[in-house]
Amino acid sequence: MHSIFRPPINWRHRRFRYRLVVWRCLNCGAVHHNATKICRRCRSNRLAEDQLPSRARLLTYTVVKNPPVAFERQAPYIVGVVEFEDGTRLLTGITDCEPEELKPGMELERVVRRLTEDGESGLIVYGYRFRPVLKKR
Amino acid sequence: MPMRRVFIAGASLLKVDEYWGDTIDSMVTEVVDGLGETRPWRIDSIYVANAVGEVLQGQANLGALVAENLGLAGVPSLRVEAGGASGAAALLTGYQAILSGLANTVLVVGVEKLSDATPEEAVMMPTLSERYDYVGFQGATEASIAAMMYRIYLEKFELPQEMVAQFPVIMHEHASKSPHAQYQFKTTLENVLSSPVVSPPLRRLETTSPADGAAAVLLCSSDTLSKLPHERAVELVGAASSTDFIFPFEREDPLRLTAAARAFNEALAKSGLSKEDIKILEIHDSYSIIASLILESIGYSAPGSSGVDAKNGAYDHGGKVVVNTFGGLKARGHPLGATGVYQAAEIFLQLTEKAGPCQVDGAKVGGMISLSGLGSSAYTLVMREV
Repeated sequence: MHSIFRPPINWRHRRFRYRLVVWRCLNCGAVHHNATKICRRCRSNRLAEDQLPSRARLLTYTVVKNPPVAFERQAPYIVGVVEFEDGTRLLTGITDCEPEELKPGMELERVVRRLTEDGESGLIVYGYRFRPVLKKR
Repeated sequence: MPMRRVFIAGASLLKVDEYWGDTIDSMVTEVVDGLGETRPWRIDSIYVANAVGEVLQGQANLGALVAENLGLAGVPSLRVEAGGASGAAALLTGYQAILSGLANTVLVVGVEKLSDATPEEAVMMPTLSERYDYVGFQGATEASIAAMMYRIYLEKFELPQEMVAQFPVIMHEHASKSPHAQYQFKTTLENVLSSPVVSPPLRRLETTSPADGAAAVLLCSSDTLSKLPHERAVELVGAASSTDFIFPFEREDPLRLTAAARAFNEALAKSGLSKEDIKILEIHDSYSIIASLILESIGYSAPGSSGVDAKNGAYDHGGKVVVNTFGGLKARGHPLGATGVYQAAEIFLQLTEKAGPCQVDGAKVGGMISLSGLGSSAYTLVMREV
């Protein structure tokens, strides 16, 4: 079974994947997606849970036309790198728009989406994605 | 006590290809048999380089498997995995074993069979070198991350894509004379720029494709070299490795391959040679943009100018250093875990004047750079004729 469809893996990552709960270093501010005792940037052991903001700016993006296992039916789809106000960068799928609508620097917001599923009766994988902020009329 | 010296007494490689009828076992025995008279007779240690054998062939424990296949059951043997740099990592491990005095003769074998993969699995294999529970679950691929590096590179230096896309053209030109290359044909800039888009701006002909391959190198100490039947040998005068943050956009500068720079500078310092001594350089051009970033990160070109330098012939025959003399990852092919051993075998062929139509005249020193992922680890080996 592909690791992406293993229920325990999805379960243990649920807070990061649905709400962007991360471990932040209290010394240098570096962000970690998995629980850790050692900061990967400064080696401090002072870390605490934090949540990344729900908005970020687009740094760059591309389109996946040749998908990997588990994403066969989605291609083509957009992936990008977003940057939060504190400088933290995050890789993310980008949804609810066409590539032509994207401009580096534009504001994006976090949503939760169905990412893929393991056939008819297998696990459904959910996770964060970002989309352009809807403009108020 | 004088510093021990490490030599390459022999090298062998198979044409990079799709070997539907072959197994890891048959490819390993064929490539080691190809060592000819330097075929190992007394080996202290075997290092097997392989990246994804347990994923695609369902086979782990390749150390014992390869020792048994070679009739060398009893000899210490282990598998080395460092993604696309597995081959170079195995070479470095063998080099260290001999330098330490614990081994005199080491066989390094790289083997990979990617042709067993479905197209989607073939996309997944290199991506396994990224953080899969982060990048993988979003459906991002290694190629898509390379494409984003490519995009910010072109934007930052305000360059047309052809500046980077010419690297595959040079690689195919070199491979057109290489009997062991996967793609022995020339191509044009127009072909590269009109090939299908993988992830914009990255095009199909700026990437590698799934390949099978096996290569072997016999490393030995000075003592063993004098007793071993061989024609000409090459000295391994420096080797080093370094690591970096895995996701390039979390590095201070996503366009600087710091691990490659550190490994290259350290290996060069150990060799006592200078950059100008290196006349042939085998680099890890897994994507066209990575060729540019390597050459700029290790200081052969200023940031943003590898394309102009390449256009002026700096990296071709007659230039300051000939890059990827048999076609590199792009055209010789990229059998993931075996690739680093191919690079070393090719430098051996060059420095012993056995490179045939690919021969670079007067080459006395060669260097190689191998990466895993998009520069998360890097290995450099420097070799000199003896």
